[in-house]
Amino acid sequence: MSDKGHDVDLTRAKQNTGVWLVKVPKYLSQQWAKASGRGEVGKLKIGKAQGKTVVSFNLNEELTVVDCSGEKISSVRSPREHPFTMQTVGGQTLAVFTESSDKIALEGMVVQRAECRPAVSESYMKLKKLQIEESTKPLRFSQRLEKAITTNYKPVSNHSHNLEYEKRKKEEGKRARADKQKVLEMLFSAFEKHQFYNIRDLVDITKQPVIYLKEILREIGVYNSRGPHKSTWELKPEYRHYQEGQEEEKEAAKME
Amino acid sequence: MKATSKTTNHKQVINSTSYSAVMTSLGSQGSSSSSSTEYVVRVPKNTNKKYSIMAFNAGDKVSCSTWTQARMERDMSNRRIYGEEETQEGAAGSEFGKKQREEARRKKYGIITKEFKVEDQPWILKVNGKAGRRFKGIKKGGVTENASYYIFTQSADGAFEAFPVHAWYNFTPQAKHRTLTAEEAEEEWGRRNKVVNHFSIMLQRRLREQERGGGDEDEEEGEKGAKKKKKGGRGGDLRIHDLEEDLEMSSDESDGSNGDGEDDEAKAKAKKEKGAKGKGKKKKKKGSDLEGFEDSDDGDFEGLEVDYMSDESSSEEEEPEKTKPNKGEDVPKGIDEMSESEEESEEETKNEEENKEEEEEEDGKKTPVQVEKKKKKDSSGESDSSEDSDIEGEAASALFMKKRTPPKRGGGRGSAGSSRTGSRPGTPSIDNAATSNTLRAAASKLEQGKRQTTVPSSETPAAKRLKMEPSPQSSSGKSTPQPASGKSTPSASDVLLTEDAVRRYLIRKPMTTKDLLKKFQTKRTGLSSEQTVNVLAQILKRLNPERKNINDKMHFYLTE
Repeated sequence: MSDKGHDVDLTRAKQNTGVWLVKVPKYLSQQWAKASGRGEVGKLKIGKAQGKTVVSFNLNEELTVVDCSGEKISSVRSPREHPFTMQTVGGQTLAVFTESSDKIALEGMVVQRAECRPAVSESYMKLKKLQIEESTKPLRFSQRLEKAITTNYKPVSNHSHNLEYEKRKKEEGKRARADKQKVLEMLFSAFEKHQFYNIRDLVDITKQPVIYLKEILREIGVYNSRGPHKSTWELKPEYRHYQEGQEEEKEAAKME
Repeated sequence: MKATSKTTNHKQVINSTSYSAVMTSLGSQGSSSSSSTEYVVRVPKNTNKKYSIMAFNAGDKVSCSTWTQARMERDMSNRRIYGEEETQEGAAGSEFGKKQREEARRKKYGIITKEFKVEDQPWILKVNGKAGRRFKGIKKGGVTENASYYIFTQSADGAFEAFPVHAWYNFTPQAKHRTLTAEEAEEEWGRRNKVVNHFSIMLQRRLREQERGGGDEDEEEGEKGAKKKKKGGRGGDLRIHDLEEDLEMSSDESDGSNGDGEDDEAKAKAKKEKGAKGKGKKKKKKGSDLEGFEDSDDGDFEGLEVDYMSDESSSEEEEPEKTKPNKGEDVPKGIDEMSESEEESEEETKNEEENKEEEEEEDGKKTPVQVEKKKKKDSSGESDSSEDSDIEGEAASALFMKKRTPPKRGGGRGSAGSSRTGSRPGTPSIDNAATSNTLRAAASKLEQGKRQTTVPSSETPAAKRLKMEPSPQSSSGKSTPQPASGKSTPSASDVLLTEDAVRRYLIRKPMTTKDLLKKFQTKRTGLSSEQTVNVLAQILKRLNPERKNINDKMHFYLTE
């Protein structure tokens, strides 16, 4: 889970590879995610017009189909033309690094920043309308029911849950007093695992009636009525060791 | 054409190198009218690499190509806070079912603890090993919420590959120098008006730490002491360094002091960047500053002229300008050389200093004084400075030189008095040279004049002085510290060979023609030697001075 330090692979950084950082609208990245095969999504056109460089991205035809949640089958198509606006990197030095499961590598430096904007067209407007409609819908809404629901909370003579409980109890029966020795063994092994126990938990562990168990506990343990571990039972100091080889020592102490 | 029919704003021309590389690639479909090339864009699907952005501030001047080695790891220091505390399980101290009970309790009260996500933790980047820089990269939130960033790289076949950016981290460099903690900073802020010597703040802190370390185990002490010496050696110990070492260390320290955020410190530190001087200064400071701090009760500041203290900030701008050129020539000299060549350099620098003083006449004659005062204070501690500040009109560079010698002598001594005497003899000739216009200066000079031993009362310094002063500067307060040479007052306008000038000379002291000629050297007056002789002869005829024979030479003199 935790990352020990990774040596950063600087081979590509030394080559001074330059990359572009492009901000892409959400719908476009969604379309790109649907690309098939090698992942070809479109064509990038770089040209010069009136001395300035013009960059534009053209989305592939098959990716213009927009999935919309809801009933409408997409009559809306995402736009295809996307001119890029180029920006400077100044003010920040941006580097790109990658993390894979076993290593971290520096991929290069950002030499150009760009924003991908959709070319404003009819289809884009429709797409946007759709998006806005979706986002304005509240997550929770109230709906009126025609008929009241009468299937819950019917009166019952005895709840099923209760019935199960009673059955279980009957099967188990009353707790029988086992041999004192055996009970002590059980208690000691329990106290090996934890120092403090609630009486209820001890009853569950040992399956003994409460009164009987309390008697035994009074012999070997002490009850904390106050303190951080309130209302819990713990072993008497002479029985306590909390080191290795406890059981035998406890037995020995007990014998004395 | 698709490109031209749309309206686009171009803010930046594409990096021309990438463009030209692009031209030679495959898969291009140029159309004749707009000469554009087309590239296929691919978004690879199968990649298991997650791309992230590492952003540095441009001012930090980070260049990835200079990195030889880098190491990156997550900063897990927040785990304790956010992660649940793992108390020991089992055996002693534990209760049965404690965890479940705690969980039930939290649910009941609706306590939601934030999960410790490793993904969101900051990065720690160490460049170039132990001695290199350290950076901390904090994740920037909200990057992937509304728009996605993609990294476009060009692959070998000329197509562009787009990778989505997973996270954005802003990396900032981490300071290696020691800084004050919040409490200490508040303390110092409260004392900023009283404390003049800001350099000693870090020094004090180090010493305090050393003491505390000493109070603890003895074993540690040695280590700590050694460590402190290495770190704080620049501040505290008497060590003779190589110049390079000094430059490095002192530049580190100048960073440190800048980190303190004190303006005067920063500027003064800038001056000190030339190594050895700083060392000397600090050595001296260590010895005397400690006393200075203790001694500098309110009483010590009473004698000072308060306007100098308040003007400190304004004088600072002038300080670096002044001192830097002076420093230029002082750097290569070693400590020993300095003390030997004191006199020579004194004169050169003092002459320069005088020029500068002339230039800044407006602000006064005060500013050089202020400058010196402040520096003196800095160097020799408060109790000293209150007295030494009386010595005004010192050249700044000369001051640096002087400080070096006093530390050697006065460093070991504790008393203020002895260090004072240590520093005094170094300064006298400078005092003579520079102009000072306060009465106090005059008085102190008179005092000094009697103590002088090092400066030869020769005419050459005086002559030089007089020559270097282009403008007439009548110093009212200037006394004649060297009774032997009566020509020490640079009051004459020696540029012009006038009757008044000659008269003044002759009133003061009987002189031979030779002496007079020396006074009006051709370089200064702009006349040739023949002309000088003629003019001088004419003036003498007009003045008709009385004659006296001293040492078998005919002297002229006037009485008025």
